[in-house]
Amino acid sequence: MVQSTSLNRRRFMQLLATVAAAYPLSGLSENRQQALVSNHVSKEPWVTISSVQEHLFPADKNSPGASDINALLYLQNMMATPDFDKERAELIHNGVGWLNDLAKQQHSKTFIQLDSTTKENILRRVESSNAGSRWLSTLLTYLIEALLSDPVYQGNPDGIGWNWLQHQPGFPLPTENKKYFKIGKNRYRHTKA
Amino acid sequence: MSKDYDVCIIGSGAGGGPVALELAKAGKSVLVLEKGPWLTEKDFYKDELACCRHSVYTPQLADEKHVIEEQYQDGSWQGESTEESGWDFWNGNVVGGSSNFMSGFFYRLKAKDFHLLSEFGPIKGANIADWPISYDELEPYYTKAETEIGISGQVEQHQHQEPRSTKDFPYPPTFEHPIVKHIDKACEQLGFTSLKTPRAILSKPDMGRKSCEYSGYCGSYGCSTGAKGSSRAALLNRAIKTGNCKILPNAKVVKIESDNKGNVTSVKYFDENNIEKSVSAKIVVVACQAIETSRLLLTSTGPKHPNGLGNNNNQLGKNLLFSAGGSGTGEFTYSKLDKLTADQLKIRGPFVNRNLQDWYFINDKKMGGSAKGGTIDFLLRHPNPISKAMRLKRDDNDKLVWGNELKRKIKSAFVSTQDLRFEVFNDWLPTDNCFVSLDHKVKDKWGSAVAKIRIGYHEHDLKVGEYLSQKAVKVLQQMNADNIRYNVSGSPPANLVAGGCRFGNDIKTSVLNKDCKVHDVDNLYVTDGSFMPTGGSVPYTWTIYANSFRVADIIKKRV
Repeated sequence: MVQSTSLNRRRFMQLLATVAAAYPLSGLSENRQQALVSNHVSKEPWVTISSVQEHLFPADKNSPGASDINALLYLQNMMATPDFDKERAELIHNGVGWLNDLAKQQHSKTFIQLDSTTKENILRRVESSNAGSRWLSTLLTYLIEALLSDPVYQGNPDGIGWNWLQHQPGFPLPTENKKYFKIGKNRYRHTKA
Repeated sequence: MSKDYDVCIIGSGAGGGPVALELAKAGKSVLVLEKGPWLTEKDFYKDELACCRHSVYTPQLADEKHVIEEQYQDGSWQGESTEESGWDFWNGNVVGGSSNFMSGFFYRLKAKDFHLLSEFGPIKGANIADWPISYDELEPYYTKAETEIGISGQVEQHQHQEPRSTKDFPYPPTFEHPIVKHIDKACEQLGFTSLKTPRAILSKPDMGRKSCEYSGYCGSYGCSTGAKGSSRAALLNRAIKTGNCKILPNAKVVKIESDNKGNVTSVKYFDENNIEKSVSAKIVVVACQAIETSRLLLTSTGPKHPNGLGNNNNQLGKNLLFSAGGSGTGEFTYSKLDKLTADQLKIRGPFVNRNLQDWYFINDKKMGGSAKGGTIDFLLRHPNPISKAMRLKRDDNDKLVWGNELKRKIKSAFVSTQDLRFEVFNDWLPTDNCFVSLDHKVKDKWGSAVAKIRIGYHEHDLKVGEYLSQKAVKVLQQMNADNIRYNVSGSPPANLVAGGCRFGNDIKTSVLNKDCKVHDVDNLYVTDGSFMPTGGSVPYTWTIYANSFRVADIIKKRV
C-alpha cells in the first residue's frame, strides 16, 4: 500500500507523463488516481493493458474513453474476485507478453512507445491468431462491462457510461455489501465432497 | 415406524411451493429441501453482473454440469459437457427456484391441449399422447393459482378463450407501455385480435407483498418488491408462517431410498456443511425441474427399482419437452417519428403485455388443414446494456470492432431506436430423440452422475414456428418497423422445460398416474413440469402451479 496522498499524486503524474500521454487529465478525480496507483498501474502487465484499453476505447471531446470509465481498475477488480477463471487470468497476462514481443521484433519498441497507427496495425496482427483474438475479445468484454456495469464495481464512475448512452438503469441498484460475489455465499462453502 | 415429517418436498420452485403451502395450512409437518441458498428481496438488485453475467443463482459449471447430446451430420449423437461448451442449462437454484427470475407471462392451456392426439391425430415421429385429466379437472386450480400467486390481467373474449369459473382476474393489468397503442392499432388494421397478457405480477399491494414498482428490469432478475409471484414470495413465505413448514436451503439431495416393497423410506442429502444426512417422511414429493427430477429418480435405484425409481418400464426421462418457436425484432427509429411518439417509445418501466392467440389452433391448407398452432408474445428488447453492447463487439465477418468504430456503433444502438420483439411459443413435440439419461462418466462435485440430455426436435415444430413468426412479422410491418428480422430454430430454450415423467393411465407408457404419483411407488409424487405428456403452446409455469395445487389436494387426503 502506498502511504501518502501526495506521493500518490506525484507517482501518478509521473506515470501519466511517461506512460499514457493521451489520458485526459481533467476527468480524473483524486480517488481514482489513488485507486490506480494502489493497484500498481506502473507495473506490467497493467502499463501495457492500460495503453491497449485506451486504444480500443479512446476518449474524444463528446464521449468517455477507457480511463474515464476506470477500465483498468475495473479489470483489476474483476480479476481479484473469488470465482475469476484462472485460464482467463493467464490469457490476460500472456497476451501482454505476445504483444510486446511482436512490438520489439518489428519495431524494437514496447507497445506503449508506438504511435497510434502502428498500434492499430500491430493489434490487428495480434487479432489474426486465435489466441490473440481471444485476448483482445476478452479485453473488449471488460471494457464494455466497465462502461455499463453498476458503478459499485468502480467502472462507469457516476454513471458516466449510462449518461453518454442515455441509458436508464433499474432500481434498486446494488450496494457495496450486495455485489454479485457476496450474494448467496453458502454456494462457496461446498468443496469437493 | 415413525417418520420425521408428514411430507418431504425436494425442490422449492413452482412445483414444490403449492404442496408446501397447502399441506402446512392443513396442519401437516412439511420439510422442503432446496439445493440453493435462501435469498430474499434484500438480495435482489438490478445488477446485470449478478443476474446475467455470473453464476450467482445457479451452480458453477465446473462443480455441476450437464452433458448435452446433439446430432451430428453423420447421424450420430455426441455429448458435450456444458462446462466445456458454456451452454448453461441451470435456471435458478435458490429458494423459490427459477420462478424468482421468470418474466411471468402467464397462460392457461386450452381444453384441446389436454387431448391433442384425439383432436388432431398422430404426427409421424412424435409421441403425442392425451392427458389422463381434462381441462375441467384442472380449471379450479388455475383459478386458485390466480389468487394464491397473484395474477393480474383482464379477460377479453376471443375465439380460443378458455372457459373460466370466475369472471375476471383478481388483480387489474399492470401498467402498460405506450407502444401497446401502436400494436393494437396495427392488429386492428390487420384483423388480428391483440390480447392483454396476464402476468404473475401484483398490480397492487396484497398478501404482505408490495405492488410492482416498474423498474423496467423484470425477466432474469429477482424481484425487489415481492410483486412477482415466485413460489418463494407468494407461497413459501406463507407456508413458513403456519409454523408447520421448515425450509432447508443449501441441502442437496443425492438419493431417495426405497425398501423391498418398492416404497420410499428416506431421503439422503448433503447439508450446507457438506455433511451427509438422512430424513424420512410419510410422503416424498419431487419437484427439481424436469431435467433434475428425472436425474434424481434415475439415480435412486432400490431393490424393486433396479433401473431407477419408477423406471421399471423404461419410461423415466423420456419425452422431455422444451418450448418450440422463435423470436424476432423490429426497430423504431426515433428520428423518423414525431417528438411525442419518440419520447413515449423511450419510456422504460411499464409492460408491453400484448399477445396474439388467433392461430393457437390453425385451419389453413398451408398447414394441412386443421393443426395445432401457438402463441405470439410481444415485448421490448431486454434492457440489459452490457449484453446489448456486447453484440456489437464483432462485425458481420466476425472480426473484432474497436476504437471509434465500436463507440459509434454502441452510441447508435443505444440512442437511435426502440426495439420491439416477439416470441413465438408452439408445442415442442415429444420424440424419441429428446430425453434425460445419466452420464456415468461425468460426475458433479458430490460424485453423482450428471444428467445427459438429448435435445432432438421434430421438424414439424419449425414449420409451426415459421407460420406463426410470419404472422408476427406482419404486425411489425404494419407498425412500419425498420430492420425486421426473425429466427426459428430447433435449439431448446433451457428455461422452458417439462416432461420426462409423463402421467397417464398405463404403467407401460407413463411414469406417473393421473394423481402424479409414481405408478409403482405408494408414497412418491412428482409435482413440477415433469408430468406433462405434451406441453401446450405457452410458458409452463401457471400450469405447473395449478397442477401442484391439484396434487396437494390429493396428498392432503392421504396424510
